[in-house]
Amino acid sequence: MPTGADPGGLGALSVMALAILTWAAVGIPAAIALAWAVRPLRPVVIALAPVAAVPAGVLAAVHLGAWWTLPRVDAPSLFLGLSFEVDLLGGAFLALAAFLWTAAGVYARSYHREDPRRGAFFGFFAATMAGNMGLVLAADLLTFYLCFAIMTLAGWGLVVHDRSAAALRAGRVYIILALLGEVAILAGLFSLAAAAGGGLPTGLDLTESWGALGGTAPLVAGLVVAGFGVKAGLLPLHMWLPLAHPVAPTAASALLSGVMVKAGVLGWIRILPAGGEVLLPGVGETLVVLGIAGAFHGVVVGLAQDNPKTVLAYSSVSQLGYLTVGTGLLALLPGARPLVLGGILLYALHHGVAKAALFLSVGLAQRMPPGDRRWRRALGVLVLLPALALAGAPLTSGIIAKGALKQGLGELGGSWYAVIDPLLLLAAFGTTLLLARFWVVLAAVVEARHAEAAETHPSEADPPPPPWGLVLPLGCVVLAAASAPAWLGVLPFPPGTREALGGQLPGVLADAVGAVLPIGAGIALALLMVRSAGSERPGAALAAVARLRIPPGDLVVLFELLLARRPGAAGAVSVLTQRTGKAMAALEAAVVRLHGGLERQDLVLMRGPVFGALLFGLVVVLALALR
Amino acid sequence: MAPLVAWEALPLAVLLSSLLPGIGIMLLAEEQRRLRTWLNLGGALLKLVFVGLLLQGVAAGGSYAWRLQVVPGLEFSLVGDALALLFVTLSAVLWLLTTVYAIGYLEGGANRRRFFSFFSLCVTATTGIAMAGDLFTFVFFFEALTWATYPLVVHVGTPAAIEAGRRYLVYTLVSGAVLVLGAVWFQVETGGVAFGSGGVVDAAAAAEAPGRYLAIFLVLLAGLSVKAALFPVHGWLPVAMVAPAPVSALLHAVAVVKAGAFGVTRLLHSLFGIELAWDIGAAGIVAALAAFTILYGSVRALAQDDLKRLLAFSTVSQLSYIALGVALLTPTGQIGGLVHLVHQGIMKITLFFCAGLLAETVGVKKISEMGGVARRMPVTMMCFSVAALGMIGIPPVAGFLSKWYLGVGALEAGLPWVVGVLLVSSLLNAAYFLPVIRTAFLDAPASDVAWKSGGRPRRLEADWRLLVPTVLVALLSLLSGVFGGWAWSPLGWTEFIVAQGEL
Repeated sequence: MPTGADPGGLGALSVMALAILTWAAVGIPAAIALAWAVRPLRPVVIALAPVAAVPAGVLAAVHLGAWWTLPRVDAPSLFLGLSFEVDLLGGAFLALAAFLWTAAGVYARSYHREDPRRGAFFGFFAATMAGNMGLVLAADLLTFYLCFAIMTLAGWGLVVHDRSAAALRAGRVYIILALLGEVAILAGLFSLAAAAGGGLPTGLDLTESWGALGGTAPLVAGLVVAGFGVKAGLLPLHMWLPLAHPVAPTAASALLSGVMVKAGVLGWIRILPAGGEVLLPGVGETLVVLGIAGAFHGVVVGLAQDNPKTVLAYSSVSQLGYLTVGTGLLALLPGARPLVLGGILLYALHHGVAKAALFLSVGLAQRMPPGDRRWRRALGVLVLLPALALAGAPLTSGIIAKGALKQGLGELGGSWYAVIDPLLLLAAFGTTLLLARFWVVLAAVVEARHAEAAETHPSEADPPPPPWGLVLPLGCVVLAAASAPAWLGVLPFPPGTREALGGQLPGVLADAVGAVLPIGAGIALALLMVRSAGSERPGAALAAVARLRIPPGDLVVLFELLLARRPGAAGAVSVLTQRTGKAMAALEAAVVRLHGGLERQDLVLMRGPVFGALLFGLVVVLALALR
Repeated sequence: MAPLVAWEALPLAVLLSSLLPGIGIMLLAEEQRRLRTWLNLGGALLKLVFVGLLLQGVAAGGSYAWRLQVVPGLEFSLVGDALALLFVTLSAVLWLLTTVYAIGYLEGGANRRRFFSFFSLCVTATTGIAMAGDLFTFVFFFEALTWATYPLVVHVGTPAAIEAGRRYLVYTLVSGAVLVLGAVWFQVETGGVAFGSGGVVDAAAAAEAPGRYLAIFLVLLAGLSVKAALFPVHGWLPVAMVAPAPVSALLHAVAVVKAGAFGVTRLLHSLFGIELAWDIGAAGIVAALAAFTILYGSVRALAQDDLKRLLAFSTVSQLSYIALGVALLTPTGQIGGLVHLVHQGIMKITLFFCAGLLAETVGVKKISEMGGVARRMPVTMMCFSVAALGMIGIPPVAGFLSKWYLGVGALEAGLPWVVGVLLVSSLLNAAYFLPVIRTAFLDAPASDVAWKSGGRPRRLEADWRLLVPTVLVALLSLLSGVFGGWAWSPLGWTEFIVAQGEL
């Protein structure tokens, strides 16, 4: 419990209440997850898990409303010292997390109503939520790492929930990459803690540790970039995203893309040096280049997908590329930190809400009464609004977020800007194309359901009840996405951010023509492609491109192929594992032979427990002799 | 706060609280089941009370030692200091839980009088090793432990058990003889065998003849390394898996292997002193050997299908974390090594309890037979998962705290390769533990498994005497991590030891 100064002129009782609220934001989902281990309590888990994010929501409201100053809470006897605090960066992520977890929770309650394993789903749901809330609130690095690890591990339970072969494969890829990421992060944290001398600092300021690292700082930064890069879909560690999203239950996919991947970006921002004295050459450049590569990779591979959720997953890879570019700019432009940070925050929030809405709409498409025109139209609206926002259409959150990132880029100036700016324009065009692709494959899902329903149910059969439990939360998320331009502006931002952004925003909005251009071109091309793919005219280049398919997970498929063919080049991994195993076994055999010889020699000594008596006699005699 | 009990011979009481029940049980008849159980549990509970008093006393600044002169100049000494108590508390708590487990496990079996008698003696020897105030007492109990555990290893009496027991005896007796030789040589060279904080070897004398001192060190290390299961003398451990589950649990988690690891700690810190050990190159050898054993054990565990054998190789690997940690020159690393003595103990005993539960309740001994077993044994597999995640080093389970201190300590000591070993070992641990968890929870059971037809017959999935101790040690593994910052957690106590300068 915090003591001493009285924040915001509150009584001790109110401070305590706020501290309890902070603990509840993390503790209540954690307690619900733990309750799952006790069988009789599972109905309680199922009932409460969907609304477990409510305390976090209240906390976020207190923070956003700036009603009271929230205290930092510490529990030095828990773990290696736990501490939580709502700071301006974490506060924005907290608001996003609380909103999306609640919406997805209510959605999942309805979506999993008939699911016999919904107990397990909500157990993992609550555990993942506890990790997510904890990491945005973490006020020191070990707490952050703890919560990050819990979120990652519990997330596996959501990915494999379906238990299908595809889900298990996705789970395997997910856990392997996640563990590699954890190990990289941990190695980085070891180094930072050892450099600081007395362990990690109790706050989030790592300037001293980075300064003390000296020559190994770039290596440590590389470990941190790669470690969190797994979560943030950094190329080429993005492979789990397009596998995990389609197989995870819809609510979980929405959370994965909406908030959980952002934890990787938050990890970068929290841990990488904030500039100042410590500037690491190469880190910023690498992030910018990989980010742009990711933005394009996501679009190109995503266009070659048939599953709407896979298309969205690749869109996330692409969008995370923008956030990666932003993080790179943070490292390159320590002077413009408020501006760039503001851009990243706006982008993360905007993408989180819009992408979650799109994922949730896929679930609705699969559950809504087939063939009903009104439902189709409603779905169209629910998809169109967030899709336009993502594409960056005028009057949406997208144009603000992209504009803010662009302003950061403008600060960079020089040849970098000359190269990156047109590339980003091209990527925006790609985003539109990709969302058009999503529209097409989603329409195909609706069509297929309609056809199926027409076949199996004769027309007078009872239509399934309208899934209001899905529509309501989806509607809220879409509403949030559509109204984002209004609320993005009022968020409390880190000092200086609003000022830095404020001057730029009108300029961004004036550039609406520039925003319409890539969208218009994208839609036009998409229409052309749909046309030409439909017509079987031979030789049409567009048709060939439109029919191209790449297996989801792209690179991972290559790995799997190579690993399957033992003598192949990358099969070296499995060969190496086998050889090491064999060598160790051979070593063991040699040792056993050696010991066997010894054992035979020793048999004489083994005649009964006489040996022990002899031994002690020997000690006593020797000891006596030595006196 | 003052010590509640200032009686200096309290360590002796701790020792007798398991020695006397052990002797008493031997004198009872096989059928006197009820009396035997009361004697056993009474001793275990009494021991806990004594240990609790000692803990409070030491924390309050009291000192406890009991000495008996054997011959002039050679003392039999039991010292209850913070370092000894770390090990004593571990063995006392786990002894109680394992006794309950063993009563359930061996229900209706033969030779239970012999079993429980030697079980108590085994714990007595472990307690003696922990509290030994000098090398002479240490060696006495170290040997006694060999004899006390042999009847437990061969308990089931099958040819495989007899063979395993023979091998166990050969390994431990030869190493015991080597240890005696080393102890005598040490006494001749330095003129004393009492343990002392920071070492008792005269640095000036050692600087004159570093080679000779290194040789003494290596002879002593060779004597200790069998029980510490350091490569290449770890071979008895996987074979000894024929023993009943409670024996595997207590031997592998606590008694025998920890005696070895604790001996290495004493050797490095109480006899030579860690600075001197590095100066003469001895600690470097320990660290290198331990690092190799960590990787070796993990790689060997990868290929096992027999669950208990997998756990045995995992033990070989994890034990060396302790040796590696205490060989580091930084307090952070030493804390990491020492606290793993407890953390590995509670996590590994959980895993062995679970293996015993699976074997006893549904007859599953191989990983390939475990498909879907969590449907029949959900609590068991949840406990198993907690401990396995701890072994990998996933926070907040206890194992992570060890790994954190070891990793930071190794970097502070300027040994980045140790971090590499730790992290590779973590990944290997994940590679052999996670598939087991996945198989148990997600795979469909084979159609012909016996337990499938039975369904869920009782309210509890297994005998409560097996299940309750298992749940408790799993909770201990979790809570030791969750409350890691608490002064009375294993980590808190270990930090106290190091802050006291007792290492």
